[in-house]
Amino acid sequence: MQKAYSNKAVILSLVLPGLITFVFAILAPICLSVYYGFTDFSGMGEATFIGFANYKELFHDKAFGRSILNSLFLAIGFVFVQHPLAIITAALLERMGRKAEGFFRCVYFLPNVISVAVIAYLWKFIYDPNFGLLNNIVKLFGGKGDINWLGSGNAIWSVLIVLIWHGFGWGMLIYYTGIKNIDPTLYEAAAIDGADNKITFLKITLPLMKPVIEVNVTLAVISALKQMETVYLLTNGGPGNETQFMANYLYKQAFSSFRYGYGNSISVVFVIICVFATAVLNRIFKEREA
Amino acid sequence: MEKIAKKFTIGKVVLWTILIIVAVIQLFPLIWLLDFSVASSNDMFTSGLLIWPEPFHFDNYVKAFVDGHFLLYFKNSMLINTLAVLLVITISIGMAFACTRMHWKLSGLVKGLILLGMMIPIHATLLPNYVIYDKIGLTDTIWALLIPYVAFSLPQGLFLTCGFMESVPKEIEEAAMIDGCGIYRIIIVVVAPMLKSSVVTVAIMTFLNNWNEFMMASTYLSSPTWKTLPFSVLEFTGLYSSNYAVQFAVMALTAAPVVILYIILNKHITKGVAMGAVKG
Repeated sequence: MQKAYSNKAVILSLVLPGLITFVFAILAPICLSVYYGFTDFSGMGEATFIGFANYKELFHDKAFGRSILNSLFLAIGFVFVQHPLAIITAALLERMGRKAEGFFRCVYFLPNVISVAVIAYLWKFIYDPNFGLLNNIVKLFGGKGDINWLGSGNAIWSVLIVLIWHGFGWGMLIYYTGIKNIDPTLYEAAAIDGADNKITFLKITLPLMKPVIEVNVTLAVISALKQMETVYLLTNGGPGNETQFMANYLYKQAFSSFRYGYGNSISVVFVIICVFATAVLNRIFKEREA
Repeated sequence: MEKIAKKFTIGKVVLWTILIIVAVIQLFPLIWLLDFSVASSNDMFTSGLLIWPEPFHFDNYVKAFVDGHFLLYFKNSMLINTLAVLLVITISIGMAFACTRMHWKLSGLVKGLILLGMMIPIHATLLPNYVIYDKIGLTDTIWALLIPYVAFSLPQGLFLTCGFMESVPKEIEEAAMIDGCGIYRIIIVVVAPMLKSSVVTVAIMTFLNNWNEFMMASTYLSSPTWKTLPFSVLEFTGLYSSNYAVQFAVMALTAAPVVILYIILNKHITKGVAMGAVKG
């Protein structure tokens, strides 16, 4: 029996398909990116090796700096706006009766299943200065309703709102599941001791949710770093580079500015930042648990 | 006693109010979309939030259906996603079995390597893959989508399947082995049926992630042969740039299949997503 479980040919046949796919679609491209990052390739013609010139330029590139800042900004928005709202909503939802609970949970998560392509264009219309929903709402409350939501100064906030709105249900759902998993006898004990809702939430729900919050925060920060699709369709990083994000910037450099080599150097730094951030967050949360 | 009853109802009212406000915020943009998708373009310039179109322009949907190439793109999306889901499940189960049950030196290394893929951002592979697919002639083929879709869903699939497989008792497969079953048969007949709930989770996560993907699709595809559903929306804005109502119709139409699927499979999807995220 031991022999069957260490049959090399069988192991190879089970592992190889996945390994080949992974190497071909993820590992090899990243290595190729490292190579192109050292060249001035424009997308056509010859690629000349130029050493670290791209990386030196990137270090001083204001648009790239802005991209990182925007990612941090978005991460802060996720962690300090979206998640507190999501936890509170989840805690309230959990006290609802069965049918209403299922209904609201279904509604909250609905935007999440809809394609970013639809969401981004929908919000482009909502923000439209001429007939957009948002300006109509402003008019309803007596404002003039001629705000250019995607214009300079407003754009980053508008992008943030879309992303926080779109991802809300996802965070809510995970917190909701976490709260559902809390032992109900703890709540009964708290009720007997005379704790009110606020104290129960602060002293029982939140502390017990710590591991879930940690996972959720990690995911939120990573997704803030990886943000691309919504921004690509909503503003494409504009006006100027005000709403630029790393992934969108590397794409723009390669396919709009025809600086494929430079785009790849951004790509490499982008991967390093994402891997580094994941590792650091996991480390921080693991150490605190130990 | 009266006081308690009163407090109870006020609490309920506050609870309902908050939850309804959140629901309106999440839902209203979509209701707005649906409302104006049956309006005429001139109706857009009303100052009200919602309108009652006179008459209902259901012909917007006919235009969206025909000119948005809905049928072709929907068929492509279905085919590519179904294949991706099947491949991810099959590969994950095979690899998870090899990594958790079988004895070989590099098992930890291979598993670690694939799981590393969870950290790699998809968009970092857009530029190099574009060149690779162009060089070896994969551009505009189904493989240009299928390969990266499978590759990027595999790490999570493997992670979930491994975690679940560790909780499945070994005794049954060992008994099957003594009865003379080969490894492949054990995986298919004995192990796979026990992995039902993790298979459902992996399928849902893979499907949701890839169904809405359009960045890779719009980079690696240029002819309509394999374009997926998001392209209906992406291409339409140019085609009907001033006919807003029809654009609304095409957005509602492309969102419809996955929304319907979500409403039908609501319970499985919420469970799957929660399980996938907490363990991933």
